[in-house]
Amino acid sequence: MRAAATLILALALAGCDSAPKVVFADASLTLPDEPVELPEGPGRDAVLENCTACHSPSTMLQQPKVSKEKWESIVGKMKKLYKAPVDDAAAAQVVDYMMHVQSQPEASR
Amino acid sequence: MSDPRLSRRALIAGAATTALAAPALASIGAKLGGMIDLGLPGGPSLRPTTPAFPGKGEMIVQRIRPPLLETPMDAFAKGTITPNDRMFVRWNWPFPTEVKAAEHRVAVGGAVKAPVSLTLDDVAAAGEHISVVAINQCAGNGRGLSEPRVTGTQWGNGAMGCAKWTGVRLKDVLAKAGVAEGAKRVRFAGLDVPLTDGAPQFIKSVPLDIAMRDDVLVAWAMNDEPLPILHGFPLRIVVPGWFSTYWVKMLSTIEVLTGEDESHYVAETYRWPSVPVTPESKDFPTVPITAMPPRAFITSHADGATVALGKPLVLEGIAFGGDAALERVDLVGKGWEIPCELGPDEHGPYAFRRWSVNLPQVAGDFEEVGVRAKNVNGAVQPETLVWNPSGYARNVIERITLRAQ
Ligand code: HEC
Repeated sequence: MRAAATLILALALAGCDSAPKVVFADASLTLPDEPVELPEGPGRDAVLENCTACHSPSTMLQQPKVSKEKWESIVGKMKKLYKAPVDDAAAAQVVDYMMHVQSQPEASR
Repeated sequence: MSDPRLSRRALIAGAATTALAAPALASIGAKLGGMIDLGLPGGPSLRPTTPAFPGKGEMIVQRIRPPLLETPMDAFAKGTITPNDRMFVRWNWPFPTEVKAAEHRVAVGGAVKAPVSLTLDDVAAAGEHISVVAINQCAGNGRGLSEPRVTGTQWGNGAMGCAKWTGVRLKDVLAKAGVAEGAKRVRFAGLDVPLTDGAPQFIKSVPLDIAMRDDVLVAWAMNDEPLPILHGFPLRIVVPGWFSTYWVKMLSTIEVLTGEDESHYVAETYRWPSVPVTPESKDFPTVPITAMPPRAFITSHADGATVALGKPLVLEGIAFGGDAALERVDLVGKGWEIPCELGPDEHGPYAFRRWSVNLPQVAGDFEEVGVRAKNVNGAVQPETLVWNPSGYARNVIERITLRAQ
């Protein structure tokens, strides 16, 4: 049995130079819409304007509760490393907003 | 026929305009599908689930854009291969949503004898076609379970999966250009690029000896199907036993380096401390996160499940050895352990393997019961978390509690 199967495979491959042929077809996909959801709170507009170009708001909303200094350092990282164009006033509003959101119970985030 | 989800969405959108703030994560869940609780200590722990991504089944949404989709643990309850529609998805930056096969090229350059630009057919003709079954696991898998918590993508344990990958050896593709004298590392880049000028592109490199391994692939197929776009169509790197950060997707450039890799995603992140640290530690030395340690999971029962008092009980799950074959799995309680029976070695050292254990009689609750994997190199899962500030390479023994009734 084993030998017969090998033989059939060998015949199927005869004519090919080496390995079996792989056929590459074009590919495309449509990503689902994103329901932009940000809880109400002071500074919400600053977050929408400055923090949603590169990633969904869930990037911020899913973070564990951290200190104000940590949010300042995250916003700083977005600016310095990823070149997010955020001015100082907006950065302060974003930090305040995240502190506000993280002070709310999870069910309302 | 109107789509019920749409009309529901319209309703919720209407509600959001009222004075009451809409609970954001929960309402995304209502719009997309269901909700799941990942059990992340201190929260937020609820995530929406959705089947809305093309080619994907029900997945946990960590982020829609760029997509971060986690595999629900129930996908690991049977078998050892993760179907393509359940494999987790992870992108750092946006990627093209359309790729024309005939136009795609892989540039092989840097410290080579003669740089080449290869078509997909050139890549497929570069050498013998081989398949490897290997676990693809995010370096940050389980980060959300870290205590103390750390920032980053808040994955549960579902940023992993095991698939059959088919392609040619990376070393055969490198041979098309010829590796030059003095080569030290091989770096990969894909079609995913930053939105902003000056931000770091997601490029990754491995040492030359890893690149030359017989089982390190430039792969085009996943479980005998062309790589889906979400998994890196048309080509991705596969490094069995290493975290998937090195498995660069939509491969378009291979660059041979003669020195260290100073780029951001190798020199500054995806690194972890080389000495023990605490959350207070500063300025400690770090090394790149590379080979995977062993892990095991109970898949037959969820945390808090009830079991029948006085009756026999069968616990089951999956385990893997990481960068070496799995040797054994033990069920561990507080002060006791019982060896588990390993399922057949179906797919080799880098794949999931099933385990099970028969307990003759349930005498009471099982408090904090877990499974501990050990690999043939002697690496064994630790009792306590090896905490690190980025939450990488979690492999503490995962424990659950079962209630006897
Ligand atoms: C120029 C693009 C860009 C902008 C604008 C941007 N980010 Fe990010 N952000 C990123 C990238 C890239 C990551 C890492 C993504 C990944 O790992 O998948 C990230 C990750 C994060 C994370 C996860 C934690 C971490 O450190 O990785 C948080 C939180 C975050 N961003 C918050 C913000 C906030 C708040 C703003 C607005 C001030 C913002 N981002 C604006 C690019 C951006």
